[in-house]
Amino acid sequence: MPITDPLEEEVAEETRPPHAGPVPQVVAALVALAVGVAGAIGSFGLGLGELTHPGPGLWPFAISIVIAVLSLTLVVTGRGLQDAERFSKATLLTAAGLVTLILLAALLPLIGFEIPSLLLVCVWLRWLGKESWRSSIVISIVTVAAFYLLFVLLLQVPLPRLI
Amino acid sequence: MDISPILDGFGIVLEPSNLIYCLIGVIVGMLIGVLPGLGPGATIAILLPITYGIGPVSAIIMLAGIFYGAQYGGTITSVLLRLPGEASSVVTVFDGFALARKGKAGTALGIAAIGSFIGGTVSILGLTLLAPIVAGFALDFGPPEYAALGVLGVLLISSIGNGNKLKAIIAAAVGLLIATVGRDTFTGAERFTFGSLNLAEGIDFIPIAMGLFGLSEILYNLEERHNQVHAPAKVGNVWPSRKDLGQAKGAIGRGSLIGFLLGVLPGGGATLSSLAAYAFEKRRAKQPERFGKGAVEGVAAPETANNAAATSSFIPLLTLGIPANATMALIFGALLIQGIQPGPQLVTEHPDVFWGVINSMYIGNILLLIMSIPMVGVFVKILRVRPAILAPITVLITLLGAYTVRNQVYDIFLVIGFGLLGYLMKKLGFEPGPLVLAFVLGPMIENSSRQSLLIFGGDPTGFFTRPISGTVLALVLVVALWPLISKAVRRKPAPVPAGPPADPPVEPPVEEKTP
Amino acid sequence: MPTSRTTPRRVLMGVVGAAAALALTACGGVKTTSSGGGEGKYPTGNIEFSVGASAGGSTDLITRALAQGMSKELGVSTPVLNKPGANGALNAKELQSAKADGYKIAVQNASLFTITPLTVSPEEATKIDSFDVITGISRDDYVMATNSQSGFTSIGDMKKSGKTIRYGTTGVGTGAQLASALTFKSAGIDATAVPFDGGAPALTALLGNQVDVSTMQIGEAIENIKAGKLVPLAVFSDKRIDYLPDVKTAKEQGFDVLVTQYRFLTAPKGTPEDVKARLLDAAKKTFATDEYKKFNEQNSLTPMEVSPQEVLTALQQDTAKYKKQLDEFGISLAG
Repeated sequence: MPITDPLEEEVAEETRPPHAGPVPQVVAALVALAVGVAGAIGSFGLGLGELTHPGPGLWPFAISIVIAVLSLTLVVTGRGLQDAERFSKATLLTAAGLVTLILLAALLPLIGFEIPSLLLVCVWLRWLGKESWRSSIVISIVTVAAFYLLFVLLLQVPLPRLI
Repeated sequence: MDISPILDGFGIVLEPSNLIYCLIGVIVGMLIGVLPGLGPGATIAILLPITYGIGPVSAIIMLAGIFYGAQYGGTITSVLLRLPGEASSVVTVFDGFALARKGKAGTALGIAAIGSFIGGTVSILGLTLLAPIVAGFALDFGPPEYAALGVLGVLLISSIGNGNKLKAIIAAAVGLLIATVGRDTFTGAERFTFGSLNLAEGIDFIPIAMGLFGLSEILYNLEERHNQVHAPAKVGNVWPSRKDLGQAKGAIGRGSLIGFLLGVLPGGGATLSSLAAYAFEKRRAKQPERFGKGAVEGVAAPETANNAAATSSFIPLLTLGIPANATMALIFGALLIQGIQPGPQLVTEHPDVFWGVINSMYIGNILLLIMSIPMVGVFVKILRVRPAILAPITVLITLLGAYTVRNQVYDIFLVIGFGLLGYLMKKLGFEPGPLVLAFVLGPMIENSSRQSLLIFGGDPTGFFTRPISGTVLALVLVVALWPLISKAVRRKPAPVPAGPPADPPVEPPVEEKTP
Repeated sequence: MPTSRTTPRRVLMGVVGAAAALALTACGGVKTTSSGGGEGKYPTGNIEFSVGASAGGSTDLITRALAQGMSKELGVSTPVLNKPGANGALNAKELQSAKADGYKIAVQNASLFTITPLTVSPEEATKIDSFDVITGISRDDYVMATNSQSGFTSIGDMKKSGKTIRYGTTGVGTGAQLASALTFKSAGIDATAVPFDGGAPALTALLGNQVDVSTMQIGEAIENIKAGKLVPLAVFSDKRIDYLPDVKTAKEQGFDVLVTQYRFLTAPKGTPEDVKARLLDAAKKTFATDEYKKFNEQNSLTPMEVSPQEVLTALQQDTAKYKKQLDEFGISLAG
């Protein structure tokens, strides 16, 4: 029976931008291969023991080998797969978003959560979300106030904070 | 069986003050469940001092209410924001979030509420009638049985996704590898900790799940939103239709049973049950490809199962004195504070507590269902908020929530790291589900099989000669070879074109109507 | 939006920098839960109790019981913070570098200082010199038990059976493992350790007859002992335990195995004397309350409310003794 729900098809079509071609596929498989090889070397160093009396490294070693072998298969067979997406200029937005997250985590223990959170929400609204200045400022202040109320006053979570 | 203590138990629960404590517990639990990171364990710890002042029965009724309220709260974030709060609701994310994106969040949440109610109630009935018998069953599961179950679980993981199978298995293997980080339980050797004390106890589930599911989705959408104007998901309906219910009926029934049975096993039962229920439904479905794209059964099965399992996890605590998970350990602690030692003598020494707790669950489940009906409408409205506004708020909940797990900034960095990994995986066609689930099951397989080998004195044939582990391993073989078996069966009646094999048509084919 | 790409970032940097500078100069620090440090007599603000274990374990419950009592005595609030990781070493490391002003304190386990150093590298081991001990708290003793179906009633019975004993422990580097390993070695019993992740799975395995014996904390096993499902074989204290008066100590049975877990209240090194005295006073008053005594009984804990000096002596003696015995018997706790 074919899927006839129009919404369903729409979503399926809409969310997948042009596929990326063979290079990212191969790179991804090579990264996985590297993880497998590194894991195998690391766990070999831990000591494998015997099959009947396993050492600390045996199980991670076995998994690493599985990862390495499967990744190698993927390097060879996965070139033609079309399930990866191209990275584009818009990827920079994701990178910018990621930077704001790291800044929040770095500043949190130094100056408390209020100012970094306020800035994060504001930056996401104004530049990543293209909201107006007014709504960006209002929403970010309200959000941080609500978090303060919830985490600090109601739940008494020991978040680092100024007030 | 003497039923008067059971009826007395109902009398206790129906006292107005206890009803109020039950209600408070369920509401608090639901709110806590919505906040990722701050789980029921932490909340119960905060509320422990309050329980000094109220009687033991009321205290436990309230704490139990928090526990299963949080279960449902976790479902809400899994469906709406792709943020599973616990390992047992990871599976719900697949179809729950897909339904939400199709504007059918109400359907998903409604089905989950009904499934949870039925699963919970079936499980309490089981608890009432069978507790001592199934408790013995739980004890028959030793390390070899857990090892076999873990292997079965990982095998099921590889069948749940829709994407490339090879990539799914690689992701699962990476999850198993990540799970080995930390101090080895058997030798104390530091594995992949790079000298960091933060890694010595391994990586917590919460940062991984929040990063790979919740945060990666937001990072991905950041880029998506730029590509096209992304209208907020249309909120089609706020309650499942009769058709949805009909479709979910079988899944709820089977999920209740699977959840009740596996939930009795202390350690990992709830996660396994949600996974098994989902995989089972997918396997017996006429169109397995609907799963992961918003199949109603894909929400009904795991949600029913994890709630049934949450309820039956009280069995080891109340009848054997074994806390099945961290939350149960706290409820154990709360009982101790009240001067009550949970254990084999609880039912004879404190029948009021034993039956009071069990019967409060009937009431708690009904309260939860009644409350969730209007709540679904409210929560679904969250999706009407523009993604541009919802995104930063979700990010903040995620990051600050991660901090609350261990009160360490380090965990925020972990979430960000896994968020990045999840984003890259999504871009490159890897699904996060297998990784997260394998991460949860990995220690179960490794530790249990190493314990088994010590018990067997190094002889691995023991895995096959013990009746339960042997049976489970046989099941593993059947599942692993199923594609071959079904192909062989299908090939025999060659003249019949595309005849439905092995799987008997129990359910009438589901009609999908165009709205 | 190519033109606007550089501007927001520059703005952001400026704003963040300015805000950070402002915040740091204006307030000179960040609050978490310990909010003291103002003028006046100690304590003027919240005292944070950190726990190096998850909520629900014995250390957590003891900390919460103590914190609650001390809060009443000191008239300030005493939030409890769970910082699990590396058997408590993570929390210990944070505490030792915290300001020594009495606003951050912690209940710590003896095993972190006596047994853990035997399993990890010297630089990783936590040292008691980094802390000021305020008072001893309580002892949490171990019991070795067997399933009632095994027929054993003493350590000697296991030796007589002549079979290889498989024993469950609560993990590598725990007192349970040390006590059982020493017992089996000194009794000359052939035995294999099966480590579990904590007391609950070790108890489950024993109840299900998956292992022959398990060593656990008394509080974990006592209900099943009372119900007759488990038979206690030995305790590892110097004298018999009040909660299990009929159970012989290992010493009584002829084996020199003395292993206990105990806990004590610590503050960072260099905490002022008057602050320590105030904390000790509050702790003592808490110990004397009926509520706290009842808590000890319910959790099968034996009070060990001794002076800091006695705690330090006990730690030193235990460390030396464990090391000597392990060397003597050639036991390695790591696997």
